Amino acid sequence: MELANTLKQDGESRGGVLAQLERLETQVSKFHKKLEEPQDAQALEARIHELERLRDNLRAEVKQRQAGVKASTANVEPDQTLEISEQEILERKQENVKAILQAYRFTGISGKLTSRGVCVCISTAFEGNLLDSYFVDLVMEKPLWIHHHSVPVFIPLEEISAKYLQTNTQRFLFVLCEYLNAYSGRKYQADRLQNDFAAFLVGPLQRNSLCNLLSFTYKVKLKGQSFPFCARLLYKDLTTTLPTDVTVTSQGMEALPSTWEEQRADHENLFFTKPLHQVFTSFARKGEKLDISLLS
Amino acid sequence: MDETLAEFFRRTILKIPMTEMMTVLKTWNFLSENQLQTVNFRQRKESIVQDLVLLCEENRASLNDAALLDIIYTQFHRHQKIWDVFQMSKGPGDDIDLFDMEQFKSSFKKILQRALKNVTVSFRDAEENSVWIRIAWGTQYKKPNQYKPAYVVYYSQTPYAFTSSSQLKSNLPLLGQALTVASKHHQIVKMDLRSRYLDSLKAIVFKQYNQSFETHNSTTSLQERSLGLDINMDSRIIHENKVEKERVQKVTQEIFGDYPQPRLEFAQYKLETKFKSDLNGGILAEREEPLRCLVKFSSPHLLEALKSLAPADGEVISSFLEGPSVITRSSKVGKGIEESRRTCEY
Repeated sequence: MELANTLKQDGESRGGVLAQLERLETQVSKFHKKLEEPQDAQALEARIHELERLRDNLRAEVKQRQAGVKASTANVEPDQTLEISEQEILERKQENVKAILQAYRFTGISGKLTSRGVCVCISTAFEGNLLDSYFVDLVMEKPLWIHHHSVPVFIPLEEISAKYLQTNTQRFLFVLCEYLNAYSGRKYQADRLQNDFAAFLVGPLQRNSLCNLLSFTYKVKLKGQSFPFCARLLYKDLTTTLPTDVTVTSQGMEALPSTWEEQRADHENLFFTKPLHQVFTSFARKGEKLDISLLS
Repeated sequence: MDETLAEFFRRTILKIPMTEMMTVLKTWNFLSENQLQTVNFRQRKESIVQDLVLLCEENRASLNDAALLDIIYTQFHRHQKIWDVFQMSKGPGDDIDLFDMEQFKSSFKKILQRALKNVTVSFRDAEENSVWIRIAWGTQYKKPNQYKPAYVVYYSQTPYAFTSSSQLKSNLPLLGQALTVASKHHQIVKMDLRSRYLDSLKAIVFKQYNQSFETHNSTTSLQERSLGLDINMDSRIIHENKVEKERVQKVTQEIFGDYPQPRLEFAQYKLETKFKSDLNGGILAEREEPLRCLVKFSSPHLLEALKSLAPADGEVISSFLEGPSVITRSSKVGKGIEESRRTCEY
């Protein structure tokens, strides 16, 4: 009995929802029945005509509206063309600025603002050759910090940032730039020696990650004789591309005849003052000169 | 040739799969082209190996040559070993590191040989100014065991060394000492990083992961990339936490980047955290001291697993990659780790 009562009391709402659902259900089944009914050809034809009429009406309306819009735009045309050209100008300006921003990397240090700071790009170069680029992503917060970077692990980034990052960010970037450019330059020289002047080398070029210690044996021709020299170059200053210590010795450690001793001292001096691959280029040229003199 | 040496050659060559045989032998470069041509590679493997061992005897191969072959085999099959990472540190104000590879090698060898009369040390230079070191341990009375060598991979002028887990753990301090002194460092510490994938460990400690940087030259900006939400979804469905999802995607993108992740299998963190309780008067919440925990993660591919966990805290993931021993402040991290651990287990 109680159940029936509750049903009646909430009858309005509950009965309402259920009744609604029932109505929807009957609607759907009616609709389905309509679809399923054996096609009354005439009824269908009538429906088709109805729909065609509706479509034509809508088309006419669309045409009307289009014409209306055209009429109104015709009046506005001169202003619009002005707008278009302004837009073109702005677009061209934007492209120009983008190109300038892209070209900034040729200056050595460039950057792009990020959502939380700036991503600095250090593009290294040596003797006019553009070499590798390195990135440092800085987060502009109260202690400035580096989010991530592509600086090689053997470059003392932690030391440099401990010294300068907080107090003088400009200096930090400048010092890092120095280190990276010097490293790139030394690496370039070592690579050139290994690749372009392999003919002069006896055995492998011994190097390390920072390219600040190079040890190799090379042969130079003089008056038809070739003599092996052992060279050991130390770059104690990581911000330079020229060695701080050079030792050239003869392989056998015997006393050298005076002409060869002259050569040895000469070579030592050359390694101090000129980049490695340039020294070997001059060796190659000397060799050519000698050959020419022998022919004549 | 010595019986034991011949046997060592035989077993080492036998390990090499036939598909790699020519490549490995050519890399080894001990047997000449002509000699290799005399071997009939269509025989049974045992016969091929026998022929090759005979050729080695002809060339008077030494223990060092065999060790070199073993190194090359291991370089080809580095995933078969589990690698640990050691970190070295220098004293303050040390001179510029003028690393001389030959000096390093001789110094390293001398230190080991002085301490242990019986030890075989072999070196092979590798890419990026690194060296692979193979150490066969012996004792005062026993000859070195060539079948259980330890390997060390060291990149010059870096503070990190990678070692294959040696079964003979008692020699680890000596190995550490040799590495430290030879590379002119002062201290060495074992890091809490271990993996089969040497390249991944290298990527992590050298911070070579996530190398995507924003520049003016890049063609796709971060915003243009799709946020992974299905555009074809019914427009009647609204994502309630769309903003949150986008934020999470953005953080995941920033931290992991687009590149495949270094392959970590196991990581361990020390965690100091306070318990955060919703209920009043929990015993743990009233504790003054922070709780000291040790959190261990393991997975076949840990970082990819975390990456796919986009709802996890960005903090968890970034602190993961930045340092192994992280003492965190927030219990938010604790929750993130809890979620991650649960997911990683499945």
